[in-house]
Amino acid sequence: MDSAEAYVIVGGSAAGMAAAQAIRERDPAAGITVLSEEADAPYFRPLIPYLVSGRKQAREMTLAGSGPYTGRDIQVWTEARVTAVDCKGQRVTLADGRQLGYGKVLFATGSRPFLPPEIKGTDTEGVFALRTLADARRMAKRAEATRRAVMLGGGLLNLKAAFALLERGIRVTLVVFSPEVLSQLMDPSDALLIRHALDRAGLEIRTGTAARQIVGDESGVCAVGLDNGDEIACQMVCIGKGVRPNVDFLAGSGIRIGEGIVADRFTACNQPNTFAAGDVAVTHEPVSGRPIMTALWTNAVEMGRCAGFNMAGLPTAYTGTFGILNATQVADMPFVAMGTVHTEGVDLEIHRHASAEAYRKLVFDTDGKHLVGAVLVGDITNAGIYRYLIREKRDITTVKRQIVNHQLHYGHLLPI
Amino acid sequence: MTQPKEIFVLTDRCVGCRTCTIACAVAHSTSKTLFGAVAETPRPKSRIYVEWAAPAHKVPMVCRHCEDAPCMHACISGAIRRTDDGVVITDTDKCIGCWTCVMVCPYGMIGRDLERHKAYRCDRCPDRDIPACVAACPTGALVYQTVPAYAADVRRHASGEMVKGKGS
Repeated sequence: MDSAEAYVIVGGSAAGMAAAQAIRERDPAAGITVLSEEADAPYFRPLIPYLVSGRKQAREMTLAGSGPYTGRDIQVWTEARVTAVDCKGQRVTLADGRQLGYGKVLFATGSRPFLPPEIKGTDTEGVFALRTLADARRMAKRAEATRRAVMLGGGLLNLKAAFALLERGIRVTLVVFSPEVLSQLMDPSDALLIRHALDRAGLEIRTGTAARQIVGDESGVCAVGLDNGDEIACQMVCIGKGVRPNVDFLAGSGIRIGEGIVADRFTACNQPNTFAAGDVAVTHEPVSGRPIMTALWTNAVEMGRCAGFNMAGLPTAYTGTFGILNATQVADMPFVAMGTVHTEGVDLEIHRHASAEAYRKLVFDTDGKHLVGAVLVGDITNAGIYRYLIREKRDITTVKRQIVNHQLHYGHLLPI
Repeated sequence: MTQPKEIFVLTDRCVGCRTCTIACAVAHSTSKTLFGAVAETPRPKSRIYVEWAAPAHKVPMVCRHCEDAPCMHACISGAIRRTDDGVVITDTDKCIGCWTCVMVCPYGMIGRDLERHKAYRCDRCPDRDIPACVAACPTGALVYQTVPAYAADVRRHASGEMVKGKGS
């Protein structure tokens, strides 16, 4: 294969593999090489907590052959870490010295966990930041001799890891600096039902406090010291304090970097034949137009697919994504948070409804004609329709009552 | 691949009797009979919905098996795929009940089975020649046809109307 025509994709997770699949759909003959620094073949990253809980095996998480991913004629190089990119010569250099030319290249290197430097001892054995299948394997191994674990950070990823450990019968304490869990996804008052569900499930939660240091001995971690002077004895620590984009390999390449790689509406970077997608890329929020970065499988797939089409010669504008777009279930409580959800001290029209089983908050702009955000807890029926209304900025005047009462269905939107 | 058939919905023919929803639930029950289905636990679930829109519209709705299905690409566990017949299906074994598909379906056509903690949706009745909802509809509001055949029917009907309009 002539390298001038070949597609090279740096990163073998959601954005990279979605792009590879999209290119393959458009161009049956093109050479596609995916370079992944991980030792495992591409897999569904959101499933790795199930390896920790023991509910799934690694082979059940393989990407190729599942869902829309055929893996057909896509060369995947594992343990292939790219260390430099030569945009003029159109080639990438790997850590082992190998070089690979490209016709078009996609940077989909994703992100890595952020380890706060103010916490001492994060390099102690038994301290994890669950990101890769390899992390999950080590965590599962350590869990065998763990009676108590401390989770630092109250985000979704850490909650999922916490539940995986709870399922194994491990006592789990969640230490959250914010006043409530999931503070990135909703206001504290919105999280009440979720908090109750977490309490019922047996998760111990300490809010408003942060870890100062992790204490270890010859067996690895043995305690976590908090800023209020408390010390919690434990055999495992899991850090979920957000992520940072993997952009170091682009130093000196001429690729423009902001908070992450800067991509235009057609997912292209500032150098010829270079594209970016996924966690590593800066994108824009459709309601406000503000630049944002997200770390979400669903967003990464959508942008990666878009990049794949652009690379294969089908110009496709990326419509951007909500900074917040999450659906999941923690304990027995399903919830969805999307769009503008932090409304404390903001001049917006807000409708709340709370019962013992369900809570919803619907956020409209100041003139009340557009839905800009929604938090649904307990009853998430038809959440996709709300997402559609927010994203398309539809005038919702005629269906506002149905939205506020959570009775909206697609029939209301039909021109009948 | 031969042209697959789709379920077309004629909203002006629907009278809102919900026979389709019962037929769907029965077709997806263990016993496959109405009397058996009502006694089953968990209760068999319909994948087709009939909603009411003011002032007097009844709107049957069922998964469109979208061409670029948002649910399939959004799924974080690889549980949603398209069969060779063009039908988008949810693999219940792979589904982890994260409800991402529910969040992205712009039609609201994915149900949540709370007892099994799994998402469910129309599977176009793979073991039947005609989907149960279509077969059961007493007013012809649901039509199971290929796109070219359906379009030909519409053309034929329209041309008949045009000829009548000319009075010839």
